[in-house]
Amino acid sequence: MIERRAFMKSGALALFTSGFGGLPSFIAQAANSNKIIQPYKKNKTLVCIFQRGAMDGLMTVSPYADNNLKTLRPSLYMSPSEKEGGLIDLDGKFGLHPAMAALSGYFTDKQMAIVHGVGSPNNTRSHFDAQDYMEAGTPYNKGTASGWLNRAVGLMGHEVSPFRAVSLTNSLPRSLYGNNEALAISNLQDFAIQARNTPITMNSASKSFEQLYDQTSSSLLSKTGKESFDALKMLNINTLKNYQPAKEVVYPTSALGNALKQIAVLIKMNLGLEVAFAESGGWDTHVNQGTTNGTLARNLKDFSDSIAAFWKDLSAYQDDVTVMTMTEFGRTAHQNGTGGTDHGRASCLFVLGNDVQGGKVYQNLKSLAKEDLEDGRDLPVSTDFRSVFSAVANRHLSINDNKILFPEWSGNSINLMKG
Amino acid sequence: MPLKRMFKTIIIGSLLTVIFAFTTTSNFDSRTSIRLPYKKAGLTTQQAAAHLLNRFSFGAKPGEVDAVVAQGLENWLEAQLKGKEADDELTAHLQNLDALLLSNETIANTYLTPGQIFRLAIKHKLIVKDSVKSLERKEYRAQLKEIMDKEGLKPFQELQTQLINQKVLRAAYSNNQLHEVLTDFWFNHFNVSLTKPQCQQFVLPYERDAIRPYVTADFKQMVFATAKHPAMLEYLDNASSVSDNNELSKSPARVAMQQRLQKSLNDRLKDTDKPGNTFLKQAVAAKKNQGLNENYAREVMELHTLGVDGGYTQNDVTAIAKALTGWAVMPLLNDAPGRKLIEKIGKDNMEKRGFVYQGDFVFHADKHDESAKQILGKTFPEFGGYYEGMKVLELLSSHPSTAKFICKKLANRFVSDHPSDLLVQEMAASFLKHNGNIKEVLLTMVSSIEFWKEDALREKIKSPFELAISAIRATNATIKQPLQIFNWCNKMGQRFYFYQAPTGFPDKGDYWINTGALLNRMNFGLAFATGKIPGVTLDLLALNENHEPESIEDALRIYSKLLLPERNQSENIKRLSALVRDENMANKIADATSKLSQPELVPETDMMQSMPSLKRNSNAGMRKQNQSMAVTTGNNSTVSQVTGVIIGSPEFQRK
Repeated sequence: MIERRAFMKSGALALFTSGFGGLPSFIAQAANSNKIIQPYKKNKTLVCIFQRGAMDGLMTVSPYADNNLKTLRPSLYMSPSEKEGGLIDLDGKFGLHPAMAALSGYFTDKQMAIVHGVGSPNNTRSHFDAQDYMEAGTPYNKGTASGWLNRAVGLMGHEVSPFRAVSLTNSLPRSLYGNNEALAISNLQDFAIQARNTPITMNSASKSFEQLYDQTSSSLLSKTGKESFDALKMLNINTLKNYQPAKEVVYPTSALGNALKQIAVLIKMNLGLEVAFAESGGWDTHVNQGTTNGTLARNLKDFSDSIAAFWKDLSAYQDDVTVMTMTEFGRTAHQNGTGGTDHGRASCLFVLGNDVQGGKVYQNLKSLAKEDLEDGRDLPVSTDFRSVFSAVANRHLSINDNKILFPEWSGNSINLMKG
Repeated sequence: MPLKRMFKTIIIGSLLTVIFAFTTTSNFDSRTSIRLPYKKAGLTTQQAAAHLLNRFSFGAKPGEVDAVVAQGLENWLEAQLKGKEADDELTAHLQNLDALLLSNETIANTYLTPGQIFRLAIKHKLIVKDSVKSLERKEYRAQLKEIMDKEGLKPFQELQTQLINQKVLRAAYSNNQLHEVLTDFWFNHFNVSLTKPQCQQFVLPYERDAIRPYVTADFKQMVFATAKHPAMLEYLDNASSVSDNNELSKSPARVAMQQRLQKSLNDRLKDTDKPGNTFLKQAVAAKKNQGLNENYAREVMELHTLGVDGGYTQNDVTAIAKALTGWAVMPLLNDAPGRKLIEKIGKDNMEKRGFVYQGDFVFHADKHDESAKQILGKTFPEFGGYYEGMKVLELLSSHPSTAKFICKKLANRFVSDHPSDLLVQEMAASFLKHNGNIKEVLLTMVSSIEFWKEDALREKIKSPFELAISAIRATNATIKQPLQIFNWCNKMGQRFYFYQAPTGFPDKGDYWINTGALLNRMNFGLAFATGKIPGVTLDLLALNENHEPESIEDALRIYSKLLLPERNQSENIKRLSALVRDENMANKIADATSKLSQPELVPETDMMQSMPSLKRNSNAGMRKQNQSMAVTTGNNSTVSQVTGVIIGSPEFQRK
């Protein structure tokens, strides 16, 4: 089986190389619309979006029906009433921030689930520590060398594609540290030999390198060299430059929008992508958080519009893709003296995909009365992040070994995925 | 020189070297007792010198192999271990970096982190309650800058840049190369990270004060120095690991004082409008969360000393965490409340109560767990105070598991990704015999034939930093913007000083070499040699005594030899020269060059349509010129291209 796959892989590559310098144009065109030839076995893809800085879960998916919230946040309170910001009512208890209108339809269609009260059992309120713990997947152990997504890739154990685990960031995120190969690249167009900006020298330099790496006595260098040049041929720059998303899809020009657009290209090209990682910043809203307008609203709009564009662009691929968002912790239940909120405990997250039992806010929240808050100030963590991450990995990526995925954890996954 | 004659010279030259190697007896200088068994391993002195430079420096500079041979390998090594070579060139490069000698305290009060800047803005009412959109961003920045300039404050970013720049410059230009290599190694071993705001200000002094002075000294000195440094105390949270299990905390006077403090705090916090109360509240909440923190205790065993299989238990982790409670950082900020308290009571009075002050390190006797402890099978009686922690670190530093773990890591870095158990055992025995003296351990390592064996040569893959620096050294390049080198290292997968986990970067080839990183290594080679990296200047012709190579093959041969001394290049050269001949590289380069030098003619613009002849003519002209004179000079020359390909080649990735 493996041999046959390998043969198919090189067969497909032979096709690529015949175009000298990349994909024949018909494939490039195909990549823009439908599925194209598959050098790798078709894999499921998990797209993780990390919201760095701690998103305010209490405003994003607001438990507006709890009267305590209005008292705690006199100028930051929102409700479905137009006067109070016009939240998109989800179930009579929770309302979605109006800036996230683009995603609300997927909640109604039951493709998207929301989990509220999510966080880490470790009560650190340091961004660094909390991100570190969440990405390593071990909330009490900083020394864990690997990230949980890297372990996920290892547990799937599929054939190695250079694009198996890709992070659209400058440097590798903690989540992808580890023994399994992962690629960090902020712009896929950089994935090329850049001798000159002219194709002729580019090809000749590229060919020189290819020959050199092919024959080197270091097996690591020759093996990776071969993979690199294979990847180079698969990932034609022109395809990226000329990429047209599906009809009527417009990605925001933000960092997150660009990252998701490139992930969409990788998925459509069937390059064996299993785990993709993107991030979004600016969630640390200590000052002037705002309600319908303001820092948080702007961030939420970009976040929601980017994901919605991505999801629409991938309409033919939705069975194979799940998007999960995460943030290191939530923010204080009360507002602070500068129109913002400070570091808190639990927040909320979104899971989008056809494997998801959507249309529901999964939660175990108590009231926001002072006695129910952690340290009298924060929404307590009622759902361990690992019980959500593992549920998604188990169902969507068919990973069964939670002992390896989340060592030191013996809790149960929550039931938010189908079957 | 005609090709044939040149070949002859090379062959005769190498024959002579071989004969020389076999006939001469020991050429050791009488001053040194170092013995390097490279001849036993079948290496010539030249090859051995090249190998030594590969592993104990950031790469040979032009002519350096010969220089080391002339000096004597043993003498060179001895001098490198001492690390006292004159460093005028480096000093000149570093002269504009004015923060390198600043204390933790000065830095904390000068180079403000984003959090501190935020507080400053509030203090100066640039961010005010109720004035949600008080200032536009631009105006806010301008006012902030004015305030900071007036008070002599600077953004942390500037310090970070100096930290990065000094690392690049030292590695590239220092004559004490082994000390730079070891500083890189030990920093990574005792990793702290710029990604953590609480410790980022102290990373520069950390490398300078806790790592650099001890890189060839006794290992335990480095364990002590790192354990007590603000950077490590904050990075792994020991500064906030506290206990009230001690006599001082229970004294009636103290309890009463605590209650008074709590009352005045509560009164103040009632007034929600009072400025600064938000932060006070956060501070109170943070304080409430304080207690035992096991992070450092775990990592000091797992990562710094015993190793993960070093034979410790969770009970040991907890007990060591307790032994190190109260180890913290002196209040460094000018307006820190703790500072006034110490001044009021007086350090000597505090010391009588068991407090300890050493530079920026403080031992809080009133936050230490005074109970008796069992650690690694040893009993530590109650009331051990500060010295208990020191004894624990001493125990860890001299443990046989530590000897093995540290020596394995050294062998990994300097010998191969898979050193033999025998070598590690020899080194570990030396470690224990010499009380963890690093210089002795390194000498044991190079006295082993395994260091010199054929299969250890070129076995290691350079880290991205090593690749970049070795390219600078091999070409005598001048670096005006070291930050550009950092950016390339980041692209190639090594964002140094920013590695988030306390493990440090894994030191093995398959971590560094993956598809994206490898392509970027090739791109680095081309960008570096063709002048595409801002601030990099190199004179490739000068390396060849300003002789232009006669042909591309000639260029390949000459520059391979210059950049990769003592490597067998014949296969590479044959392959590459066949390729350049086949592809008629000169023409292609000419095409590319002409397009590049006149970029306005390349895009399909109206201008191009109106002047098609100009384009064709200029192209043809360039081509003709290049054919007649296959090798041009300057950044677009064949020499640059060839050099770029060599730097990006697999051979140059190895050391």
